[in-house]
Amino acid sequence: MTLLRIDDVYQSYEAEQVLQGVSFDMQQGDVDVLMGPSGSGKSTMLRCINRLTEVDSGDIWLGDTHVTAPETDVNELRQDVGMVFQDFNLFAHLTALENITLGLKRVKGVHAEQARERARGHLDQVGLGDQTDAYPAELSGGQKQRVGIARALAMEPKLMLFDEPTSALDPELVGDVVAVMQDLAAGGMTMLVVSHEMGFARSAADDIHFLDNGQIVESGPPEQLFEQPEQDRTAGFLSGLQADGPQ
Amino acid sequence: MSTEESSAVDDVGIAAGVSVERPWALLVLAGFWGWLGSRWINDFLLPDSIAVSSERSFVPVDPVAAAAETLGSVAAALGPVGAPVDVVASLVGFVAGSLPHLPPLARGAWLTLLLTVAGIGFGFVLAVPLSVGRVYGGRWLRWLSLSYTELIRGTPLLAQLFVLYFGLPLTQVIRELPGVGAGPLPAQAFWVAVVGFTLNSAAYQAEYIRSALESVDAGQLTAARAVGLSRAEGIRYVVLPQGLRYAIPGWSNELIYLIKYSSLAAFITVRELFFRAEAIANDTFRYTELFVLAALFYLALVLSASVVMGWVEERSSVPGVGGRQ
Amino acid sequence: MVQTGDWVFVLSNADTLLFGLVVTVVLTLTSLSVGFLLGFPAGAIEVYGDGVLRRVVTVAGGLLRGTPIVVILLVLFFVVSVSESAFITATVGLGLRSAAYQSQLFRGALQSVDEGQLEAARATGMGKLQAIRHVVVPQALRRSMPGFQNEFTIVLKDTSIAFAIGLAELLTQGYNLFTQSGRSTAVLEVFLVISAVYFVLTFLTNRGLDRVSDYYAIPAGENR
Repeated sequence: MTLLRIDDVYQSYEAEQVLQGVSFDMQQGDVDVLMGPSGSGKSTMLRCINRLTEVDSGDIWLGDTHVTAPETDVNELRQDVGMVFQDFNLFAHLTALENITLGLKRVKGVHAEQARERARGHLDQVGLGDQTDAYPAELSGGQKQRVGIARALAMEPKLMLFDEPTSALDPELVGDVVAVMQDLAAGGMTMLVVSHEMGFARSAADDIHFLDNGQIVESGPPEQLFEQPEQDRTAGFLSGLQADGPQ
Repeated sequence: MSTEESSAVDDVGIAAGVSVERPWALLVLAGFWGWLGSRWINDFLLPDSIAVSSERSFVPVDPVAAAAETLGSVAAALGPVGAPVDVVASLVGFVAGSLPHLPPLARGAWLTLLLTVAGIGFGFVLAVPLSVGRVYGGRWLRWLSLSYTELIRGTPLLAQLFVLYFGLPLTQVIRELPGVGAGPLPAQAFWVAVVGFTLNSAAYQAEYIRSALESVDAGQLTAARAVGLSRAEGIRYVVLPQGLRYAIPGWSNELIYLIKYSSLAAFITVRELFFRAEAIANDTFRYTELFVLAALFYLALVLSASVVMGWVEERSSVPGVGGRQ
Repeated sequence: MVQTGDWVFVLSNADTLLFGLVVTVVLTLTSLSVGFLLGFPAGAIEVYGDGVLRRVVTVAGGLLRGTPIVVILLVLFFVVSVSESAFITATVGLGLRSAAYQSQLFRGALQSVDEGQLEAARATGMGKLQAIRHVVVPQALRRSMPGFQNEFTIVLKDTSIAFAIGLAELLTQGYNLFTQSGRSTAVLEVFLVISAVYFVLTFLTNRGLDRVSDYYAIPAGENR
């Protein structure tokens, strides 16, 4: 079943064209990775899916929901789309647990005690069951990002968006976050990930979309894209990545 | 009293100045200063033979009053449609009512300016040693400097002025000084006020400078010592030039505060701007004109100060130190 | 000039000064409350509002911040005549002026909260108002504590300027004590005692608000 359909999306910021006719589909349970040089429009593509950014033209469908239709309730839509940010954006005044319960209580209307129960479960799931009362400032970058993932998961989304989830982390902390993402992928979560994390892409991705100048240059499973890219631009970019090591 | 306090003051401080980005505002200010300057030259410098009487306004009052009256009757004749004319009429009426009071207010503004400039200038001279003593001094010096700033900052300025004016024999001493109260030099109360504003402003300025000094990286002084400068030289030539630049926003703030609080000198009989406005209002019962005029004068002074300080900040900044990044 | 008899005089009139002290404390609290109730929304309007309302708030704030408090008080008393009561006039005057400063405090605090916080809240499906209310405001209020502490002591000290409209607060009571009793030699003693009382008040206020700040502080500070 097709969960996400991106159809000919254009988006511009001020005078600059950011997305120029992007289209792709994702099936339920797919894990897709968006790669491409900085400024190629990867993050914008993600943000259009939960309408933190509005498209200029084109359509996005999430299951039966016409995401880009003006009458769609963005607050309801966003409960179905979890988002994980590059710089975490954990609520600085709330503990790890409260970061998760806030949305459950205020958006889903879950009763406080039940919200805490569910939040604890999600923290356990990302390996932070012992950090429930820690404030964001007391956590390492990797821990923060795992709380960020748990916060998004708690809303029970149909689709998870990851916006460069490991690029703000020290290299030795990347592994924990990638492991959590791999678990999620193995558990059948539909995930769209902007990342240059080759290890994750190889092990978990169904498809990789290579974006440049707001267009998808090439798509395919990791082995095909990494080993035998058809386009020179893809090859050039990937060889640069591999030479420099993962970002 | 806490360390965070002074840093937060800066935030409020920048906002305390009303922003002047529009050219017409600058034009109005230029007009205000042009008029004020000519008034001062006319009243204080020009010989009586060629000067306009210091009690007469430059613009004759009668035609303006007549115009206001005419406009008022036009508005009345027009009935309900005349409402806009009526507004104009009352504005012109306000101007006509204000004109006779402008000359004394201009002389009051002269004292306001002197009080502010003297307070901030002498205060600065005291504030630098106070803050350096607080940051780099030994135990006693630190304690002394801290006690002074906290005592001053913990009590109202008006109470300080009362202690100096009513409580201490300061007035008798100042009265004996040569020239006080004679000719262009203001009378003794003014000098008591200058002492008060200096002592008060020194404490507040010392706080701004202290937090600015503390924000200068400690490595700067270490590097200065490594070059062979003495500790005092390092503070003088390396830390202070950077710290004082960081202190400018807080300092602008203090200037604006001082302009406004100089009005309290009226309560120890200094004939500055507010004193004059209140005195005339009490004589003539024209409270609206006089207090609105006083407010406009202070606004113009405050705006001018923030324009000047913005310029100072711009001029004194070097890449990486000071200025609005 | 400082004489034992004058200290006794001050002591024997302690009730007069105590009355003034109560007025000063109550006036400080009422003015700060008016300042908060008007200043917080005004700050929010300056950040999130637009159009005429925002312009009105900005201009009114600028006027109040650019005018000496004594002029504001006299305008309210003699021109606008908000009330015959000097206490109410002083509350309105000090309150409005404090609102103008508190609005800047809260404006700065609201703006200092990282944009990502609002975005992350919106991404979980919260409406804009909900996100501001539950994510931005709690952080902004904590950040405005040091500035609020400063504002508190400024208002406390400036209640003395209600002297100008004859309100019987601490300073006025002291002034009347030495002008009306014929005991003019006691003037230094009276004002020193009054200054000491103000100092103790600001000192206690600062210590108290330090405690409150610490209590509500978010643990560990290395993160913004």
